[in-house]
Amino acid sequence: MTPPRILFRTYVVPLVGMTAFWIQRVTGLLLLFYLLIHVETVHHISGGQAAFDGAMATFHNPFFRLLEIGLLLVVILHALNGVRIIIIDAGVRSKHHRKLFWALAVIGGLAIFIAGALPMFLNSVVRR
Amino acid sequence: MSRNAFAWYMQRITGALLVPLLIAHFWVEHFMSKELLRGDLTYTAILARISNPAWQAIDISFLLVALYHGLNGFYNILLDYGKIGRRGANVALTLIVAVGVAWAVWGVLAFHNL
Repeated sequence: MTPPRILFRTYVVPLVGMTAFWIQRVTGLLLLFYLLIHVETVHHISGGQAAFDGAMATFHNPFFRLLEIGLLLVVILHALNGVRIIIIDAGVRSKHHRKLFWALAVIGGLAIFIAGALPMFLNSVVRR
Repeated sequence: MSRNAFAWYMQRITGALLVPLLIAHFWVEHFMSKELLRGDLTYTAILARISNPAWQAIDISFLLVALYHGLNGFYNILLDYGKIGRRGANVALTLIVAVGVAWAVWGVLAFHNL
């Protein structure tokens, strides 16, 4: 008896859906934590120029520039995976789910990340 | 529609709203000018934008939508993993809403001296 093809495909790229599920949870928590730090920094605007620039001074170094690029990556992962979830919930048939995952991950995610990270890296890390 | 179904739809609607809002936010804070691209996000660099009431409205809406989406997501994770029961879930939800309101006020007050 020929084994069902789906078993073979599951073996080649294991647990794509589960990986995506965990990516969404972990990046979601990271972004919520980032929002806390972000609001903390931004609320210094009400203290005027010295207060805000003082609060921002912590982040003006290559280490935080790189973290900022990491933030872009986390945002892209969460956003595109979220788009994937909305598309799937809208009723796309399950045989297309894996294709959708790789299309969004590779074409969307990688392209957007490179387009965003490259100018950020060149301008704020390399040319500082 | 049950409360859970409503929350389910809202998570997707707010998520869809956050995509354009976040793209715009990244653009105006990191890519719009040479100065911002260098990462020099100073008070003077953003003053014109943040003192504009229209931008304040956009930023505040962004914060509220993000807070709803983030805290609702956090509540979902809690329900999935923290075996807290129905009473525990209600207590957690009350706490999360309180934190959310405080967080929103904290963020909105950033603009009160402009």
